[in-house]
Amino acid sequence: MFKYILTRVLYFIPTLLIITLLTFLLSQAAPGDPVETRLQGSQGAQGGGMSEKQAGEQAYIAMSKKLGLDLPPFYFSVGSLAEPKDLYKIFRKKERENLSRLVNTYGNWEQIEPYYYSIKTLEESLFDIERDTNTYDGLKVLKEGINNLLNTHEDVAISKELILMETAINTFSTVRVDSVTLIQKNYFESAIPAFEALQANYAAIRANATVWKTKIPSIKWIGAANQYHVWLFGNKPWFKSTEDPSLKGGFIRGDFGESYLDGRPVASIIKDALPITMSLNLISVLIAYSLSVWLGVFLSQRKDATVDRVVSVVLFILYSLPVFWVATIFIVYLTTNEYGMDWFPTYGLFSNDLPDDASAWTTFKDLAAHAILPIIAMTYGSFTYITRQMRGSMLAVSKQDYIRTAVAKGLPKKVVVWKHAFRNSLIPIITMFASLFPIAISGSVVIEVIFSIPGMGRVGYEAVLARNYPVLFTVLIFSAVLTMVGILVADILYSVVDPRISFTKKK
Amino acid sequence: MSKQDEQKEQQTSSAPAQDQKGQDQSYGAIVKRQFRKNKPAVWSLRFIIIIVIIGLSADFLANEKPLMCKYEGKTFFPVFREYIVDLGGSWPQELSSIVDWKTANYDYVVWAPIPYGQSETDFMNANYVSPLDDQNVKSKRWWHWLGTDEIGRDVMSGMIHGTRIAMMVGVVSMSIASVIGIFMGAMAGYFGDEKLKTSWANILLFIISLPFAFFYGFQIRSYAIGDAFANSLFSALMQVFLGLIIFIAIIVLGQFIAKLLNKVFKLQATRNIPIDIIVSRAIEILISVPRLLLIMSIVAIAKPSIMLVMVIIGATSWTGIARFTRGELLRVRNLEYIEAAQSLGYSEWRTIFRHAIPNSLAPVLIAIAFGVAGAILTESFLSFLGIGVEAEVATWGKLLSLARKNFSAWWLALAPGFAIFITVTIYNLMGEGLTDALDPRLKQ
Repeated sequence: MFKYILTRVLYFIPTLLIITLLTFLLSQAAPGDPVETRLQGSQGAQGGGMSEKQAGEQAYIAMSKKLGLDLPPFYFSVGSLAEPKDLYKIFRKKERENLSRLVNTYGNWEQIEPYYYSIKTLEESLFDIERDTNTYDGLKVLKEGINNLLNTHEDVAISKELILMETAINTFSTVRVDSVTLIQKNYFESAIPAFEALQANYAAIRANATVWKTKIPSIKWIGAANQYHVWLFGNKPWFKSTEDPSLKGGFIRGDFGESYLDGRPVASIIKDALPITMSLNLISVLIAYSLSVWLGVFLSQRKDATVDRVVSVVLFILYSLPVFWVATIFIVYLTTNEYGMDWFPTYGLFSNDLPDDASAWTTFKDLAAHAILPIIAMTYGSFTYITRQMRGSMLAVSKQDYIRTAVAKGLPKKVVVWKHAFRNSLIPIITMFASLFPIAISGSVVIEVIFSIPGMGRVGYEAVLARNYPVLFTVLIFSAVLTMVGILVADILYSVVDPRISFTKKK
Repeated sequence: MSKQDEQKEQQTSSAPAQDQKGQDQSYGAIVKRQFRKNKPAVWSLRFIIIIVIIGLSADFLANEKPLMCKYEGKTFFPVFREYIVDLGGSWPQELSSIVDWKTANYDYVVWAPIPYGQSETDFMNANYVSPLDDQNVKSKRWWHWLGTDEIGRDVMSGMIHGTRIAMMVGVVSMSIASVIGIFMGAMAGYFGDEKLKTSWANILLFIISLPFAFFYGFQIRSYAIGDAFANSLFSALMQVFLGLIIFIAIIVLGQFIAKLLNKVFKLQATRNIPIDIIVSRAIEILISVPRLLLIMSIVAIAKPSIMLVMVIIGATSWTGIARFTRGELLRVRNLEYIEAAQSLGYSEWRTIFRHAIPNSLAPVLIAIAFGVAGAILTESFLSFLGIGVEAEVATWGKLLSLARKNFSAWWLALAPGFAIFITVTIYNLMGEGLTDALDPRLKQ
């Protein structure tokens, strides 16, 4: 038995690995730059002086390091021969993607790299030029041009931008030196070499294009210093303690990272959310099981009686009622005074106006009032499902010979039903326990979103919408572990209830 | 030789197959009889036909354009014409100037039964007009039978067009799920862990061709695919499909080279591929992830598109079908006629696809019936949350979500929810009916 459980637990590992890979792939495919999301508000706009610009870059680098996004994504990369290995060092996601497109068009990173850096040099040289009425228009054109160059890969757009910038940079304005002499002066003179280098570099890209390189596949080995590895296993030494805060523990050491949105540790988000979902689901499953097992047995004893027929139809209708409809109906009709039935609070788990020093009884009353509708909505589905199964299973068992024997030898009906039939018909109900787990977690998304309950389902839903991958990873993996543990527990219970089933003899 | 003769010859030459077909029909007759006995299931089948008809003719049942009109002396069929316009045609000269179909000056006109489009706004009846209150309409003909929403869209029209979406969700997602599920289940059930043997060369070339296939199929074209997704879903699907074809072609090419190698070096098929374990593991992985969150996270990174939602639902809900197929094939593969097919020297693939699978499809129908119910539920919940549905498309879930914005609009809470409920119920009833009808224990 122990060996069986151990093998099963070992099977968890590949399953979880594939889930992490899948979600990681999704996070890579998602649009948007998480670093920028995090920095929003705190970062200066495009304009501003050199120091501000540099501060912005510094902040960006620091944040991408903190989020672990400054590394190449995976252990290896499948790409074309033209793709450089160190593209990830271009830390801004947008610029990186644009360069990757350029590489994909021309296939010569040797020329594209100097082109990129000459844009940056030009940008820096512009900071030396004082902004005044003479230079305002020119600077505006140039800065916009640089911005556009960093975000476009199309030849037409780049050429157009370069022409615009050329005219701007070669503008002479009339300056009065003293009361008599007027001279023509170009304020951008200091930037001209940088611009010419940029033009030359772009011409070189087009002249030395090696498109064939983009058609040849190449697999590049990157090694353990990648986003996935650091996220999953961390880069902290395993058996030494370090104080370096930049090193990460990795997912398997309980360091789930931090939320992209507000920097809150994911572990604390989960710690708040998991107990809510677990307890709501537990209460709902307990209610469902205790009622439906009894009801199932009761109905099976009155097969084809009016009670049985009526209840069966009602159960079937309940079974098909979509949870989110029922929840919406509850909220619309029972929680406001619109239809005169303001019986329950509308949203959340606690009232906003609940005082902090409220007595335990008041808190409980408040909680119960909030939880009753969600719990009903969560329960009725599994309740009908289990009842139907229980009834069917009892009926199947009642046809068995040993039940007839038990009746024939004169045992009281109660003993026959509860001791002989009931125990044997429990087996399918227990396997169902396992299938209820994934349903319960998916179900909690529905319930928690509609009733605004801050549980795992809602956390996961919000993480999806905000593309908050550290949170989404954790929610998905926790749910997967819960599901697999649920299935395992069901299998073990299976053999406990039915001694004929033994896992050790198998194989 | 005439066609008839050809057919005749075919029939005589395939006597065993015909025999088997005869048996199949008798089983089919039993199933049909069983199914007919189940009144609710029969009724739900009829109901499904009605839903399909409503879905197919949604444009003719609810449309802001007239079905037929006489305008400036000529007769037009604007609703029909719209299909031509959608296919790239253009409106006739006379009609192209019409901005508002309702107020145009027709000689005579025939409106659709519900004369409102799914995204048409009736400004006179905006801001949640109840079906029971006074409506600002010319006559009962223009009545909003299920009220309106905040910006004055007719709920009844939305319901009718939502029927089409619900129907499509069932068809599209279950077709995809069936293809994947039946294939996976058949492989796992037929070959098990021991029967799929291949040579070293095949495995090696498979591993080698995999990165090539990925590179030429998807990597090299990743920008083309990405841009296509930004443009329209159709072009994106075409791009992905093209990628798949290249992918498969390269894998097949690799296997072809392996075949040559096998011949040249006389390699034996000695390596065992535990396909059953692989498929079972894949199923286990898929059921361990909360499906709703998985679908949501895939849909959330792309542009909203109801078609994409259907595809993703299909691609993640094949596990039930695969399990049913696997179970059936485990049984079927030991039957005599499969042995006969094998000893006749048919290839494994022919045996699986022509003989084994057709005989094990019946129970899969059960999984499909329940699967349709599940797919419709999932889709309507997603559009209830506003995930993956375009702004101009009306779905039941989206209509229901409007009820949460305004609690006093009771009709928005009732009608769409009821439609979802009824549809899910009839598919569940179908599933139950099929389960009873196909149950071999009840076979007489």
